[in-house]
Amino acid sequence: MEIVSYVFMIIGGLFYLLGGLGVLRMPDTFDRIQSGTKATTLGAFTLLIGIGIANPDWLLKVFLIIVFIALANPIGSSALAKAAYKSCELPKNLVQDDLKELFGGEDNDSN
Amino acid sequence: MKNFLALLLTLFLGYMIMSWLATNEFFPAMGDVDVTTRVSQKYIERDVNGNSEEVVFGEATNLESGPANTVTAIVADYRSFDTLGEVTVLFVSSLGVALLLGGTKQRRLELNFHPNFMLRVGSRALFGIILMTGIYISIHGHLTPGGGFPGGTMIASSMLLLYLADDEFRAKVKGFKILESTTGSAYVIIGLLGLLLGGYFLENLLVNGVLGDLFSAGMIPIIYILIGLKVGSEISGVIDNFLTEEGV
Repeated sequence: MEIVSYVFMIIGGLFYLLGGLGVLRMPDTFDRIQSGTKATTLGAFTLLIGIGIANPDWLLKVFLIIVFIALANPIGSSALAKAAYKSCELPKNLVQDDLKELFGGEDNDSN
Repeated sequence: MKNFLALLLTLFLGYMIMSWLATNEFFPAMGDVDVTTRVSQKYIERDVNGNSEEVVFGEATNLESGPANTVTAIVADYRSFDTLGEVTVLFVSSLGVALLLGGTKQRRLELNFHPNFMLRVGSRALFGIILMTGIYISIHGHLTPGGGFPGGTMIASSMLLLYLADDEFRAKVKGFKILESTTGSAYVIIGLLGLLLGGYFLENLLVNGVLGDLFSAGMIPIIYILIGLKVGSEISGVIDNFLTEEGV
């Protein structure tokens, strides 16, 4: 049981490492957001599940933290991505842009 | 040359200070201090007025200071008057922000974005969790690390989340000032009650109970809940003032 929990924790740490590497190495804002949030979400989940297996008393608290991260991380990253879409320069090799018709394409102050 | 001289001077001063620290008898060498004779040990063993028993978590009853968390015992019991000063510092700073930014004619700043459905609903769900955590930390301030100040800051951060993500909430929220002044006055009134009935300002009037229970430590949880509410409403009021502007 202990070994299983350590394996989970190491997998989580590896995902954190990959997320940090992605934030450092990715070329533009959106790639960085996706690598950062996806990797940290999964990394935090596996790390916390590992902690929960190691200490079964904490399992409920761990699930609460997982629910919180599962809510907070996607919402925060989507807000970040929207802000980046509005204020940053879009990447040159963009394939599809669904937000363009939503925002009207030009700088309107729709408040 | 100048840099070299500066470096030399710094090294010389550092050597002087370190050698003085090492030789002066006022500062004993590392490891020579008997910690058990210091004041902190008295606080840890609840021994300021003389207590010969050993302090055991979950068993010791009616100690001179009830909180299981020693930091809380010092902050909110032994030195509660000091904490009242800290709360006053926060109050004065929020008053300064209100004086500078909140005029009589106020208008909400129009933020340059409208939160979409997902952000609105999700932030409402998160608001509940963060608020509950803040209240939990304020209530359990005498048992676990934390207390009124971090708990209150968490309450204020949940308010900030709603301010940023919810247009309706931003338009209708009021009453931080009332809550803030009520809780602040209640703290002083508790202190004056202690002066009136017990003889000392902020005297702990209730029984301390068993160390480690939720309902223990007398007035400390009440004071810490008041501090939590006060800090939360104060910082929320500061955020509110930052998001308004003077003018028509």
